[in-house]
Amino acid sequence: MNLADGGSGPRVRVGTARLTDGLAVFGVCLGVLVLLATESGRHPTSTGAGFSGAVGGAYLVAGVLAVHRRPSAPGNRIGLLLVLVGIGWFAEDVQISVDPAVHTVGLLLRSASAGFLVHLLLAYPDGVLRGRSDRLLTAVCYAVVFAGIPLSTLGFTTLTPNLLLVWPLPYDTIARAEDAVQLVLGAAVVAVLARRWIAATRPARRVLVPLSAVGLLGATTSVLDAVLGTGPSWHHQVLITVAHAATLALPLAFLGGVWRVRLGRTSVSDLLMRINGSDPRQLRELLARALGDPSVQIGYHRPERGDYIDADGRPLALDRAVTPVHRDGQRVAVLIHDPALREDHHVLAAVTSAAALELDNQRLAAEVRAQLAEVKASRARIVAAGDEQRMRVERDLHDGAQQLLVTAALTLRLARGQPAVRTDPELTELLRRTADGLEEALTELRVLASGIHPSVLTDLGLRPALRALAARSPRPVELTGSDLPRLPDLVAVTAYYVAAEAVTNALKHAAAEHIRIEVGTVDGALRVAVADDGVGGADPALGTGLTGLSDRVSAVDGELTVTAAPGAGTTVTALLPLESS
Amino acid sequence: MNAPAGPGVVIADDARLFRTALAELLAKAGCRILAEVGDPDALLAAVEATGPDLAVVDIRMPPEHRLEGLHAAVRIRRTRPSVGVLLLSQYLEAAHLTELVGHAARGVGYLLKDRVSGGDFLDAVRRVAAGDCAFDPDVVSAMMGGPRRRDLLDGLTGRELEVLALMAQGRSNQAIADALHLTGKTVESHVRSIFQRLDIPTEADHHRRVLAVLAYLRSSR
Repeated sequence: MNLADGGSGPRVRVGTARLTDGLAVFGVCLGVLVLLATESGRHPTSTGAGFSGAVGGAYLVAGVLAVHRRPSAPGNRIGLLLVLVGIGWFAEDVQISVDPAVHTVGLLLRSASAGFLVHLLLAYPDGVLRGRSDRLLTAVCYAVVFAGIPLSTLGFTTLTPNLLLVWPLPYDTIARAEDAVQLVLGAAVVAVLARRWIAATRPARRVLVPLSAVGLLGATTSVLDAVLGTGPSWHHQVLITVAHAATLALPLAFLGGVWRVRLGRTSVSDLLMRINGSDPRQLRELLARALGDPSVQIGYHRPERGDYIDADGRPLALDRAVTPVHRDGQRVAVLIHDPALREDHHVLAAVTSAAALELDNQRLAAEVRAQLAEVKASRARIVAAGDEQRMRVERDLHDGAQQLLVTAALTLRLARGQPAVRTDPELTELLRRTADGLEEALTELRVLASGIHPSVLTDLGLRPALRALAARSPRPVELTGSDLPRLPDLVAVTAYYVAAEAVTNALKHAAAEHIRIEVGTVDGALRVAVADDGVGGADPALGTGLTGLSDRVSAVDGELTVTAAPGAGTTVTALLPLESS
Repeated sequence: MNAPAGPGVVIADDARLFRTALAELLAKAGCRILAEVGDPDALLAAVEATGPDLAVVDIRMPPEHRLEGLHAAVRIRRTRPSVGVLLLSQYLEAAHLTELVGHAARGVGYLLKDRVSGGDFLDAVRRVAAGDCAFDPDVVSAMMGGPRRRDLLDGLTGRELEVLALMAQGRSNQAIADALHLTGKTVESHVRSIFQRLDIPTEADHHRRVLAVLAYLRSSR
């Protein structure tokens, strides 16, 4: 079992939070300093100080919010990265300075935010890089930003003197090289995000939507820009504006992610209001809505067996992510859900504690239903086993005792034909009496075997068996009704016993003159009705016969009704479902 | 039944002791026992190989011990109409009789197995082997016993009912006369009267007569 855990220990959390706060303060100071220092050097076509400040500030604020609003490992790591992107963003503006020394330092840091940004995009929302490809891509980006770019500065010719210029290269050469690298890395990030989006389940997408959309937009414009060339042109202006907008939107998108979690909390309060008295299906739907996971399943705990059942009492497999629900320290149920829900584990925790009481109630109901289903199944098994037994006894009588007696009678007949016997009148008489006794025994045995289980029922089915039952009766028995489909054995045998018992009762207790057996199918059930014209007013406690019948009929989920108005005869009706539910 | 060349008989029953005793009884009565077999396939093969006058067949045989004997009997009657078939069973069922007889009441019999030790058994064997019929009195009375039949048969006198039952068993007028201690002429007049009342066309042919009676009993079920 794979239970969602609550994240790393509190000590680590506090450490990261402090570090983030410290870095954010540093970022704010850096930002103010940079904006003031570079104000004079800003090119008219370059981005305004206001925009720069807004973007950088948004990252810093979002980072701090993330750390404090989601005090768990993923939130921490994401918050730290957001603050680092903000610092990088301000560092990139240092190059605008007209002071050669400051400008040169700025050139070294001119793409500082890109490495953190790629790291942030790939690590969202867990805060960790999941696959080897993610880690490799992030490492390459950091290498380009903090090693490749500074190295290229040695050949970078700029308006404000570059103090590190040792090997002047044409501006185009470096710009093209940077475009190519930007293209490759941008495409790789787009590919990774697109693949993640396609593979994501619904709850996971819910968390991914804002950041992925903005991230894809930013990466796509960056790729387009690189393809079309970063030289001064109208499309560069447009794309760079879009890229900037995306950059500004990214921290907002993260705040959007936080907002979505809050939306989840709204669903929890909705859940709380409606949960009482909901039936099992409603309860599951409420939970599915609150969690944003339509596939959520509830597994009710059976402590004595250590397993989990659904609302209908069927055992469940814990094959996906599982979150336990506790009440008074006892596990009452588990929610089986999409693994992506763990990223929203606040919602998960809120939902499970809100639903614990109702789930406990439903658990008891589910347990009762499971027991009922078990009792029903066991009763059907007992009845079927009884029938099986009777059939075997009948078969044994037939193949054993009856066969042996017939053979003995035949052999006796051969003996009686012997000349020595024929001349002895006393022996003849004894053998005649033996033969008569054997014949009587055979007749009795045949009646007994047929009463235990009529062969014709097995051999030919219900209707011929009922016809034979009618033919055996000393009073007229009429058989009516429609043709029958192929019946399950248990149903056919049950119907036969109902008819046989009802006919016996009518003859024995009701002094009936005429009996009618009606058999046919109605709405997926077999209906057998036995009506007589006897005295009626049958006492329901008339004998164990009717009680036994009622038990038999219930065993196949059927219904037995007896109507017996005094003077109007008795009607016994059984409805036996053909498909067991 | 002591003619020098009695009917050739094949016996099919999976109970060996019974089979042996039955063979002994029939042999003493002058039958030639051509084969004793224990399952339907062996029965069909033996009938093909020996061309008997009569096959005595138990209804329950391997492999399922249900109606294998009945099905084999029906097949013999279809493919070898000259072979008489006498079906033995531990219980009687009108539906089995209907299936066995089909549309030709010639050389066919259906008896409770217990009858083998009774006095009439050898007579039934002889009749079926000779191409006549022999039906168990119990199955005939069951067919005559239903409520509607009782209404339809209400018009018959007690004596006529007795005659009808014996007719349905496959007995000839002479046999009926012997059984009821009547003269042949009296039986003939009863038969005419029965046919008239039941609206069955009078047929001289014995087989058609049995078939007519059975068809009448069946149709009124």
